[in-house]
Amino acid sequence: MREIWLIAKREYLEQIRGKAFRITTILIPITFAIIFGISFLAGKNSGSNKHIAIATADPRLADQIADQLRADKDARMTVDVVAPVSADTRQQLVSQIDQKHLDGFLWLDTDIAGKTDALYVARSSGDFVTESRLNDAVNHAVIRQRLSAHGIPAGAVDAITRNVKISTEQVKNGKEVSSNAFGTFWAAYVMAFLLTFTLMMYGMNVGRAVIQEKTSRIFEVMLSAVKPTHMLAGKLIGIGAVGLTQLAIWAAAGAIFSGSALAASLMSGSIKIAVSWQEIVLFGLYFLLGYALYSTLFAGLAATCETEQELQQYAPLAAVPVWLSFSMIAFIVSNPNSFWSVAISMFPPCAPIAMFLRIASQFPPLWQIALSLALLALSVYIVTWFSSRIYRVGILMYGKRATVPEMLRWLRYS
Amino acid sequence: MTPVVELDRISKSYENKVAVRDLSLRIDSGTMFGLLGPNGAGKTSTIRMMVGITMPDSGSINLLGKPFDREGLKRVGYLPEERGLYKKMKVMDQLIFMGELRGLDPAVAGRRAHDWCERLQILDASEKKTEELSKGMQQKIQFISTLLHEPQLIIMDEPFSGLDPVNTTLLQDVLIELKKAGRAILFSTHRMDQVEKLCDSLCLVNRGEAVLSGGMREIKSRYERNRVIIEFEGSDAFLQHPAIAEYKDYSGSVEIRLKPHAGAQDLLHTAAAAAKIYRFELVEPSLEEIFIQTVGEKVDA
Repeated sequence: MREIWLIAKREYLEQIRGKAFRITTILIPITFAIIFGISFLAGKNSGSNKHIAIATADPRLADQIADQLRADKDARMTVDVVAPVSADTRQQLVSQIDQKHLDGFLWLDTDIAGKTDALYVARSSGDFVTESRLNDAVNHAVIRQRLSAHGIPAGAVDAITRNVKISTEQVKNGKEVSSNAFGTFWAAYVMAFLLTFTLMMYGMNVGRAVIQEKTSRIFEVMLSAVKPTHMLAGKLIGIGAVGLTQLAIWAAAGAIFSGSALAASLMSGSIKIAVSWQEIVLFGLYFLLGYALYSTLFAGLAATCETEQELQQYAPLAAVPVWLSFSMIAFIVSNPNSFWSVAISMFPPCAPIAMFLRIASQFPPLWQIALSLALLALSVYIVTWFSSRIYRVGILMYGKRATVPEMLRWLRYS
Repeated sequence: MTPVVELDRISKSYENKVAVRDLSLRIDSGTMFGLLGPNGAGKTSTIRMMVGITMPDSGSINLLGKPFDREGLKRVGYLPEERGLYKKMKVMDQLIFMGELRGLDPAVAGRRAHDWCERLQILDASEKKTEELSKGMQQKIQFISTLLHEPQLIIMDEPFSGLDPVNTTLLQDVLIELKKAGRAILFSTHRMDQVEKLCDSLCLVNRGEAVLSGGMREIKSRYERNRVIIEFEGSDAFLQHPAIAEYKDYSGSVEIRLKPHAGAQDLLHTAAAAAKIYRFELVEPSLEEIFIQTVGEKVDA
């Protein structure tokens, strides 16, 4: 035990003091913030700063639509009104789009019966955000106009057509709690990203540490003093502790940040990212088990390689489960209890990420969490059994990378 | 006296190759033992079994008077041929870590490491990172880490490779001193001259088998003194003497190999009668010659 502790301590101190630790501790949250910031702002700003024209025979309708569009602060649209229209207006508008003076124009025809046809002609197709804004604005304006036409006073029209904003609540432990679907999603997203990132990073880290010891031949000295399994265990514990330290630093920084005035002003109170203590405990559990799974796997594989480049060839083994879990993010978050969501959260390589998405979205039945943790622990045990055997033989082998049949033979005679 | 380490007919084979076959040897305390052999002969495989990195397929190992167990390894120091140190670690931290792994208290390890660094003249480097040091210095550090826990059995695989003559002498003196203090030292190399100079007994392995073993003097006495060096002036007619199997003639000096069991005294008389003899030496066979003779025979067999 003393040896495991010594090796873990050495590994921990070396990594904590290393440059890589400081860089990743700072850079990963910054990268995250930038990625999320960009995707958040891009979502908010898509379809903004457009310059469009509204062409219709009815100037009042056109004005109302224009007012409506201008009222949307996020859109920051420039709206020209072309009303009434003449025979060659449409041709002029088309040529203006062609010369890039306009992004598009909305053409409205109202027939005698009061039926309105709307056509949006634009340079780009598939601008769903602008389309939906136009749709809202046109309907709104047409309804107002029809209401006025029925003799309803302007004040009443305002009251009737006032928008309703949907707020969401979530049932937790049989009680309604105010939730913000948006905040929950982002919390899940951030945590799943963090889990993936750290699992892969520290899994590969263990692999690299093994290869370094192998190429520097230090294991030969080490093995004359300690058992290979102790050496492996010490390494896993040491690097795992580094991972936990880094997560703790991020969590503390996050807590300080979210309590600060800057966060309050940035979030403007509309987004609450609530993380419960259960989630923190489970995050820790899934991190530890997931880390144990990936790092033992990589330690075993690394022992069969001579260089880091050779180890990189095994990277897809880690990438596939991650890719699988991430391709299902939207599905899991919106259908947390469907068969496939449950299945993927039981599958050990995907469990840490997938289950965490489910937890954040809707707390799954306890037995499912327990089962997925148990399956994960079982797979850790199996992978450790294989890896430690391959490790014991592999680190003493020089030369080319071991093939699968060779590894199977090692299993037999170790 | 119980030997410090004793191997009894140990064998080890890997997938398609026998690394060691029925090898027996014993090393007593206070002796320096040479494990000799060409590359790939099984020296490192033998040592790895002695320090518990691998297990023999058959045969037994006794360490410090008991059947091999890992506890005994705390009193063994091993300097592998493929050296390895943690590159990013400071020298002193590294030495203390190695000492602690072998059961030393960190304070004791630190004190001993300091003394050793002083003795091997690398105290200035003790606060530097290992990767900043020259190869020779790294080797000294590895040397110290092998000795820090005052092992009873010291195993050194090619300890002087890559060292300059000054440092080689420095480390040799340390080893001789340790031997005199009663430690058992196993010294593995293919450098015959070093074994010849330092070792009390030896084992020569080739293709995994011991082909020659015993005390240095005893082994040498098994081989005839059949090599003669003569420095002379005058007639070289004595080179036709029937005792001579072959000779190499360098101007003013010849190297002669005698026929088996031929007497050298008669040759001296014949030579002295015709020429002026400055030097007449009946040389004992060098280890290298014995090695080539023994291994060569086996290879041909």
